[in-house]
Amino acid sequence: MRPLPLLVSLAAALHAQPAVTFLRDVAPVLNKAGCTSGPCHGAAKGKNGFKLSLRGYDPQFDYEALLYDLSGRRFNRADPGRSLMLAKPTQQVAHGGGLRFEKESAYYKVIYDWIAQGVPFGDPEKDTVASIEVAPKEIAMGKPGETAQVKVTARYKDGQTRDVTRDANVDSNSPTVARVDAQALVAGERVGEATMLIRFQGKYATIPVTILNPKAGFVWKPMAQHNFIDTHIDAKLQKLKIHPSPLADDATFLRRVTLDLTGQLPTPDEVRSFLADATPQRAKRAKVIDKLIARPAYTDNWTLKWGDLLQSSRKYLGEKGTFAFREWIRDSIASNKPYDKMVRELLTSRGSSYEDPAGNYFRATREPKPTMEKTTQVFLGVRMVCAQCHDHPFERWTQNQYYQMSAFFSAVGLRPGYEIGEEIVYDQRADYEMKHPKDSRVMKPEFLVAFTAPVAIPNDERRRDALANWLASKQNPFFAKAIANRIWSYFFGKGIIDPVDDIRASNPPVNPALLDALTQDLIDHNFDLRHLMRTIANSRAYQASIVTNEWNEADADNFSHAAPRRLQAEALMDAVTSAAGARPNFPEVPEDTSAAQLPDPHVGKDGFLDLFGRPSRESACECERRVDLSLPQALNLVNGGTISDAVADPKGRVATLVLSGKSDAAIVEELYLAAFSRLPSKAESERGQKYLAGGARAVRSQDLLWALLNSKGFLYIY
Amino acid sequence: MLNIPGRAGQTCEGPTRRELMRIGSLGLAGLHLPGFFLSQQAAKAANLTEKYKGARGFANAKNVIMIFLQGGPSHIDIWDPKPNAPANIRGEFKPIKTKIPGTWIGEHMPMMANALDKATLIRSMSYTPNGLFNHTAAIYQMLTGYPPDKVSPSGQLEPPNAADFPTAGSHISKMIKMQEPVLPFVELPRPLQESGIIGKGGAAGFLGKAYDPYRMYQDPAEAIKLEDLSLRKEIPAERLKDRFELLKGINESMPELEKALNASAVDEYYGKAYDLVLSGKARDAMDLTKETDKMRERYGLHTFGQSTLMARRLIEAGTKFVQVNWPSVANGDPEKTAWDTHAANFGPLKNLHCPKLDRSLSALLEDMDQRGLLKETLVVAIGEFGRSPRMGVSTSGNSNSPDGRDHWPYCYSAVVAGAGVGRGVQYGESDATASSPKEKPVHPNDLLATLYYALGIDPEMEIRNHLNQPRELVKGKIVTDLFA
Repeated sequence: MRPLPLLVSLAAALHAQPAVTFLRDVAPVLNKAGCTSGPCHGAAKGKNGFKLSLRGYDPQFDYEALLYDLSGRRFNRADPGRSLMLAKPTQQVAHGGGLRFEKESAYYKVIYDWIAQGVPFGDPEKDTVASIEVAPKEIAMGKPGETAQVKVTARYKDGQTRDVTRDANVDSNSPTVARVDAQALVAGERVGEATMLIRFQGKYATIPVTILNPKAGFVWKPMAQHNFIDTHIDAKLQKLKIHPSPLADDATFLRRVTLDLTGQLPTPDEVRSFLADATPQRAKRAKVIDKLIARPAYTDNWTLKWGDLLQSSRKYLGEKGTFAFREWIRDSIASNKPYDKMVRELLTSRGSSYEDPAGNYFRATREPKPTMEKTTQVFLGVRMVCAQCHDHPFERWTQNQYYQMSAFFSAVGLRPGYEIGEEIVYDQRADYEMKHPKDSRVMKPEFLVAFTAPVAIPNDERRRDALANWLASKQNPFFAKAIANRIWSYFFGKGIIDPVDDIRASNPPVNPALLDALTQDLIDHNFDLRHLMRTIANSRAYQASIVTNEWNEADADNFSHAAPRRLQAEALMDAVTSAAGARPNFPEVPEDTSAAQLPDPHVGKDGFLDLFGRPSRESACECERRVDLSLPQALNLVNGGTISDAVADPKGRVATLVLSGKSDAAIVEELYLAAFSRLPSKAESERGQKYLAGGARAVRSQDLLWALLNSKGFLYIY
Repeated sequence: MLNIPGRAGQTCEGPTRRELMRIGSLGLAGLHLPGFFLSQQAAKAANLTEKYKGARGFANAKNVIMIFLQGGPSHIDIWDPKPNAPANIRGEFKPIKTKIPGTWIGEHMPMMANALDKATLIRSMSYTPNGLFNHTAAIYQMLTGYPPDKVSPSGQLEPPNAADFPTAGSHISKMIKMQEPVLPFVELPRPLQESGIIGKGGAAGFLGKAYDPYRMYQDPAEAIKLEDLSLRKEIPAERLKDRFELLKGINESMPELEKALNASAVDEYYGKAYDLVLSGKARDAMDLTKETDKMRERYGLHTFGQSTLMARRLIEAGTKFVQVNWPSVANGDPEKTAWDTHAANFGPLKNLHCPKLDRSLSALLEDMDQRGLLKETLVVAIGEFGRSPRMGVSTSGNSNSPDGRDHWPYCYSAVVAGAGVGRGVQYGESDATASSPKEKPVHPNDLLATLYYALGIDPEMEIRNHLNQPRELVKGKIVTDLFA
């Protein structure tokens, strides 16, 4: 059998450079052949008694495992071909992982030569990959079906370079748009965008791929530019031959923006007065945005959001602690405390959890490592959790960095206070060093990335103050970006980087210029989140219709049109209540407390809200909130008490309307305004009236409201 | 969770047959999907037809009944007697012959001895828990395939939360499309429980509450109420039909929204909810008054017996996964039918536990077999562990009476039947004291893997947890030799 062409590059390199080392030559084979993958020997406990580091992140460990496990039986230096390390992957002896390469392959030859030469490790100062370069930097295809070859070059620490295209791992983040084969040939599948992630020996690179719509006849018609958001979105849309949708009508806009900013539906009167307002459209919308931001419901809505992210729950904080923490969050929102200030207060709080409620931040996670994971995930959008056990598989974060970052919190202590349920957050003075699990060496605190001249990190118990300054700095490349992206997602249903709390090189923004501009604007406005929301809500992109045209109907990524989003649990509950004119009815809280105002997930546990995806606040992950729809939810909406009882409320909207003696037409109009926040069309009105006339008016009106509340026009923001 | 608060005073009577005929099915949106098939995603995740082509037992099962004997039944006294072991091990009971040639079981299981010709008796269940092995940790391991230390560091007494691995029934109800307007996953008659920790290992965890079981936590030996599955009193079938027609018109009046939501399954779920309420199929399945007294007696006139009968009715109606939990708290009082026989072993087993289990399980196997349901239903009866062969020693930190037995996960027994599983077969064997498997050990994960495989689900398929990290459905070996 001929040698496989797969490893010609490695084999060729061997001739030029007779010394085969583990670092330069063998480790890539172990990765490419899959030995170090998660399901195989890279698993946390290895496989069948043999463990390698996940995706080869720790070559020293792997080398030692090969050398010393089984008392060195993996090598037969006198007769390399009889080495277990060759016999296993070539299936000459039984191998649970099957055949990894043929005896005639270049892989085999690399390992054979390496064993024959006495299994040298290599010199980390020379044989380690310093960087990889990929070409081309981006791929643009005129139509599906085209292909492009990716080339990967590794540069080693000794300055040598090597073509490692065949040895690197190349993956597509969206194989239905563009797929890639083992030879790194990219093939366009359909119109859209994808990202190629290239990995080689712990180094990463990405290549954006765009496949244009080959359809003829695209003419860019400039649309109104409300602010810089539209400029950046349009720049990309024009390039991709996508035409954005025009603005949604006024009633649709009002419903959308009121739900997004305040979590509540507009009332029928608000809809009427907004529709009647003759102010020019853009100014009228800007005015209502300001009005909504000034409302108490705005504060409720964002207190709820931050309560989720900061895990405000009596499970961790006790009842009094939960209320204290929520009040602290509420005050921060109500006073529009600059976001960086709010985060600094959380991270540096000390003392009684009752007197300085911000300290509750530490009480849900309690331990340095989970606190670090939460801090990086919530405020930097970075998930460090993978790096606890191994270097992050798709990001540059290392296991060392995990412990260096955790060290910032290692001195934070909690002890009981004087009152029941009170805890004191304090800084321990002894025995707080963070130790690496492998060798127990003390890990000094070190920032994840350096962005200024070196900062002296106090090597005492007050190190978290240094972290707060670093983290909430305007120069921190993650901090402002993470919150800008997160807030964006609340208005569009997805982030510019999505998921919003998984920012990494291999998960690039769909529109980097847009995210950069949004980030810079937030920094320029001193982390004023209201300003950020106002900017977003005033953009044409946000105000766009869900109606698509022939150029943007396939686009789901570039914010060229609005996309329906199911109302989140609390908003849905409150919308049912307000549309039906009923009063909220939750246990253990004051009368008329709305779902958005509930202190924590303890209230109404296991009821409607949990069924509809209210987060349990067990973690700070955005993913805890769910907005899907399922059979039990449909069953509840159809046959459960929430909607059925609300429409039949004897003091509710239907009862009031019927008793007031209004005409059928007026009742239909009022119910549409209450549920859909718009007037019924002529056809809708006629059909509604016909239905009301078909039986007892009270019964028929209840049915109409029931049907409105069960319809997609109610369950979704659009 | 499907806990829908109903209003007091609702009727449990559904629409009459005549009403149903008049109304018919609305067929809101392609409701009646063709039979049983994997979700597209699952099918794509692994090229299953190729991977398991011709493999014994693959996709034999359409349904599962999981009889979960929480508390930890004493395998040596019930399924795996050792008459030649020393007195402090063999205990008080005598062995009796069974329909499996050469296999004897405890004397208080005479009906099962006769019914084992329909089942495989596994005598080599075995695992070594990480750290503590209390009930909650073990139940979680058994039903999710993951040790609880992946969720809570203590591994014990942590209530269920949204980061938990999903229980098997939740995975299955998510992956399998329903053919009938019934509930995909029903758990009865009471939750899994150890002390104050309720439901750990029995919930959908990171799949979301939408995939939690329908929790029928009532005693089927008494009259039960099913308000959430019944038409509301003030909404008779005609009115619900009117409401749905109105709803259909309203949805259609917003065509752009319909188009934008085209890919969502809203209509499908609404159609199913409608059918579920209107057809009354799920409600009927739980109505044991539709069975003859003779049949009810055959299963045993007690909570467990009537629960197993209800399980059979649910499977007949189309439910995919029924989990019958032993109706006592796992660490409850053995004198009140808990399997946790630290203090009193032989008396309660002889007088309380065995007679109930013997009658109900044998009735289930025989009845299912006679009705042809066993062909496509996998029945598993197992606890979270067995009990220490040696009496009066502490293996879990609990104190035990001289004739009591402590927790023992290292070797115990299970009964499996149906869906092509061997009939009248013993699988695996324990050592002279039933302390460890002599051959063919079966880890709980192996059993779970086999269960998924029997349903046509690849146990190696990738799932995503709440942090979107890839995980294996279960890390276990498929025991193809269980299939005939």
